[in-house]
Amino acid sequence: MPATLTTRKPHQIAVVDNDLCDECGLCMPLCPPEAIHMTRKGLLVDKEACTGCVKCIAPCPVGALFMVDG
Amino acid sequence: MREVHRPVPRGRTFHGGRLVRHVDILVVGGGPAGCVAAWEAAAAAKALDVLLIERDRAIGAPVRCAEGVGSKGLREFLDPDGASWVSRKISKVIFWAPDDTEVNVGGGDVGYVLDRTRFEPALADEARRAGAEVEIRTEALSMARENGGWRVRLAGPRGESDVLAKVVIGADGVEGMVGRWAGLDTRVPSRDMESCAQYVVSNIDFDPDAIYLHFAEQWAPGGYAWIFPRGEGVANVGLGMVALKSDGRNARQYLDSYLERYFPNGNVTGLTVGGVIVATTVKRTVTDGVILAGDAAHMINPLSGGGIVNAMKAGRMAARHAAAAVCAGDTAAERLQRYHDEWMALLGDDHLKYYRIKDALSRLDDGFYNGLARTVNGIPLEKRTLGRIFAHALINHPMLLPVAARFFV
Repeated sequence: MPATLTTRKPHQIAVVDNDLCDECGLCMPLCPPEAIHMTRKGLLVDKEACTGCVKCIAPCPVGALFMVDG
Repeated sequence: MREVHRPVPRGRTFHGGRLVRHVDILVVGGGPAGCVAAWEAAAAAKALDVLLIERDRAIGAPVRCAEGVGSKGLREFLDPDGASWVSRKISKVIFWAPDDTEVNVGGGDVGYVLDRTRFEPALADEARRAGAEVEIRTEALSMARENGGWRVRLAGPRGESDVLAKVVIGADGVEGMVGRWAGLDTRVPSRDMESCAQYVVSNIDFDPDAIYLHFAEQWAPGGYAWIFPRGEGVANVGLGMVALKSDGRNARQYLDSYLERYFPNGNVTGLTVGGVIVATTVKRTVTDGVILAGDAAHMINPLSGGGIVNAMKAGRMAARHAAAAVCAGDTAAERLQRYHDEWMALLGDDHLKYYRIKDALSRLDDGFYNGLARTVNGIPLEKRTLGRIFAHALINHPMLLPVAARFFV
């Protein structure tokens, strides 16, 4: 079987670094599937809902969002 | 078996084994929109039970704002003269062009830089005085339609509880959830989101009676940098930029560069960050039993990025419509639509025009602003009205014509 069919490209999703995050919530309305939630423990990205579109990454004023392999 | 009867407290019923609190109007979020909404709703009809909830430990903190506000709009709500919540009275506006050409505009009663850690508590006090209940450290977790109203799950200092509200006013800001839960689309495209960062900087030299707005792609692409005085030698220095136009740095990094260039000797304290939605009002601000107000409904002036007075006006309007709807026993979307229409007529339609201007201006480069600054400086200070500036800009910079056409059509 060709390698392209067996190796799945790693799907990247967004994560919040809660040490950097100031909980301003700017990223929340930017998320098309509304996958970012404000919780008592800080902002949290719903891994299942995140589509890896990266729309939340650059606008974060403190650079607290990163893409990681999902 | 003997049953023990305990009186059920007023305004509460047992529901599914749980003591449920009933209110007429629940306001979610204790910012300018929410505080004024609670104040106006309680004042509109004494018989109404109005509850305002705020997630944070205090009304007014943490601050996510540059705290500048126009005088005329502010005075519709509170008297700023001698108020403890005023940091500084502002009597002029100074624009800086990208090449640092200074343009002085305005004079007189321009506005105020607020101390929002005191301003919102003052609004909340008015709400309490009018008869509203205010609960801090209480957040909404979810909400669902029930009996023609909304059952909202709250988490507060004493644990979780439910409240049944006839109308919910969502004044929960940029990160607002009430709209989402109610099925309203409050998402924002990246181009309409300004990423902001601000420090309080002391030991700097500037005119403490002026606010400074600095336009330059290099320092704040797609937005502007600002200096809002808090006192002599102390100011909120910040900027808002559009990430799509960034060179890869985030807002805080842009601000650090800005301070290094313009205020290398300033003492930097308190970082504030946040998002300003520079879009037009959301298509639907109401649904059955729900009204959105302020940032939650994208009611910021998209050209200036100012939203405090807009939020207060929307809060007042939302409260009056909510109170009337509750009193009439009809909280359906069709009735609440009057709020949306009234908002659009008051400011929403203007924001559509401002948005078009912003869009046109965003396509002009630094050279245009440098040229315009020099043109305006040729107009005597006392004759520098916005209309005259615009007229001169059109004569000397015909490329502005499409902007004018879009504005006036």
